[in-house]
Parts: sequence; C-alpha cells; structure tokens
Amino acid sequence: MSDRYVVRNPETAWRVYDGQAVILLAGDSTLNTLNAVGTYIWREADGTTSVSAIVARVCEEFEVEPAQAERDSADFIDKLCQRGLLMVTESPQERR
Amino acid sequence: MGRDDAVGTVKPTSPAAARGAQTELSLAIAGVRAAIVMRDATLADIVRQRYKGFLSGGKPRWRIALDVDTVVPPAVPGDVVVRRDGHPARLAVERGDFSAILDLDRRCGRVALNAPNEFSIDSFLRIACTLALLDVPGLVVHAASLIRGDKAYLFCGRSGAGKTTLTRLSPDATLLSDELSIVTMSNGHARCHGTPFWGELARAGEDRCAPLHAVFFLHHGGRHTVEAVRPGDALKQLLSTVLFFAREPELTARVLGIASNLVESVPCFDLHFRPDAGFWELVDHV
Repeated sequence: MSDRYVVRNPETAWRVYDGQAVILLAGDSTLNTLNAVGTYIWREADGTTSVSAIVARVCEEFEVEPAQAERDSADFIDKLCQRGLLMVTESPQERR
Repeated sequence: MGRDDAVGTVKPTSPAAARGAQTELSLAIAGVRAAIVMRDATLADIVRQRYKGFLSGGKPRWRIALDVDTVVPPAVPGDVVVRRDGHPARLAVERGDFSAILDLDRRCGRVALNAPNEFSIDSFLRIACTLALLDVPGLVVHAASLIRGDKAYLFCGRSGAGKTTLTRLSPDATLLSDELSIVTMSNGHARCHGTPFWGELARAGEDRCAPLHAVFFLHHGGRHTVEAVRPGDALKQLLSTVLFFAREPELTARVLGIASNLVESVPCFDLHFRPDAGFWELVDHV
C-alpha cells in the first residue's frame, strides 16, 4: 500500500504552549487543542513527511509500540481530517 | 467630553446629497480616529449623542460614509457575515439591519442602514473596530474593564458571567466598559482602553486608557478566589471571548498573534467571585 502524507490546512492559525497546540480554524473560528503526541504529529504534518515516517518518529519520541502508534496516529489523523484541520495526500507536496 | 471642534458641517457634494447638509463627526475609539460622514440629520444626531464621550478633533485615519438606505437587502436577522469582497483587504459586512463595505488598506468604508437606528450603528461600529484594530494591533474582547489607581484590569466573560455586576461593585474605579473592552499591544506592553460599547449598565466607558495590569476570566463562585492561569489555557479562554467575525485565514492568524502576545505579556487568572466588592482584595494583590 502506498504511503500517505498529511499537511496542515493553511486556513489554520496555531501556537504551541507547554507542548500543547492551540489551533484556530478560520472557516468557522473553532478552537482545538492537542495533547503532546497530537502536537508532535501536527508539527510534523508538513506535507512532505510520510505518515509512516511520522509514526516511526512518534515511537521513538514517546516510547510507544509501533502497532499501537500506527493505530492511534491513524485515528488521530482521521479525526483531524474530519474537523478540517489536516488534509491527506497520496504524494508529497513540494517544499516552499 | 465631546468637543465642538470635532463637529463640522460642509455643503453637499453630490445631487444625492439633496436631503441636507453633510455632517462629519470625528470619532476616536482606542486611538483609532474615524471621520463619520452622514447626510441624514437624524443619523447625525444619534451619533453625536450616543458617542459624545468619544468625539474628538485631529486628523482621522479612517473615513466612513454612513447613510440610510431602506432598500438594503436584509441578511439573515441577527447573523453577522464578514466576507472578502474581491480585493483581500476589502470586506463586506452584513447583518439584518445594515450592509457595509470596509477597505482595510485604504481605511475607508460605507455603510447603508435600513433605518436610522442607534443599535444598528452601534453594531456596525463594534464590528468595524474588530477589523480596524488589527493594524494597531488590538482586540475587542467580551470583557468589563476598569482603572484602579493607575492600572487597568480586564475581566473577561460571556453574557451572564458577571461583567456588569462587577462594575457595579466598583464605584471607586474608572469605568472603561461593562461589556466590550479594547486591548492594544505595543512593544510587548498591553494597554486597556475605554469604549462607548455598553452592556446592562447602559453607560459608556470613559475615553481613557492605562497599562493592563492583569487579565481575569470570570466565574461565579461561593467565595472569592484567584488562581494563576498558564498562557496556553489563558489563550483558549481569551479567544473564546474575543469579538471577531471575519473568516479570512490571514486575519484570523493576526487575531491569534495579538491574543498570544497578550497572554504572554500580562498575567492571567481565573477569578471566582460572589457578588460583593471583596474580590478587589484579591485583585489588588495579584
């Protein structure tokens, strides 16, 4: 199965305090906050890093089993996509 | 505190102005001065009376044409829609009782009201302030604000949080607002400004400003308690009280940036209070 890439919705504005991201979505002014692992994934979601690479880094950073990290990351990415915060692509975006 | 030199009357500039002389009032809120230009005498009287504490002389940075147009198509009643109108800096602002165009680059705008109504004018000005203040930079916040000594205090909360109650319990403080307050940032320092926007108190704030000493998030409680809030949590609470309607990403990012600077610059606290003036003993000592 080909790898996927995640990218932050450019219509979001965000800040990180104490390792937790506070994200404001312009379209509906909703406010979202992420925990430490979620914030790590959020920071890595640059459109050029594959989901599998992000999951591998999560395993290292937070000492999580790969299977669990993969499952939790997939759930998290799905949730943020539903909220319009992240977008998934089949190929990497060009670096700006 | 209105000054006569702020009020000028000039001749009509177009056939459409046949209804009467054009009146120009200079209105300054949080240092943002706007010339409000009107052809409708009733409208001019309302603005002159309603904002008398905020009329001032000096060169306006903004120019707003305010008129009555009974054929303005109504938006959904009560809803505020702020959307880009072609150019990125040009915004259309619509509500059930008015329709407006604001150009943030050229600092000008025109407003068509369905009727010469004080509440419609006030609603428009509240929204216009949220946009005009971005350049300052500053924010309009659902908050009561008071000056005590030389320090300003901001008490944030939505309707029912106790903003007006708190101002009524503070007769020896200078009222900046019991409903909508303005905070501006400059070189990492926050200042709180009086506004003409009132809540249940039905009284405008003083046209004054002072360094913002502390931000409090209001909660009802059985006793008075104050607890420090970390910047991240403060940002979340502050954003939930910021007045802002534009859904544009660039403008939203600027609001977040200003709010972040504010919570990083000024100590923030949760204030649980009951309706007596005893809360000042805690507030004075933060």
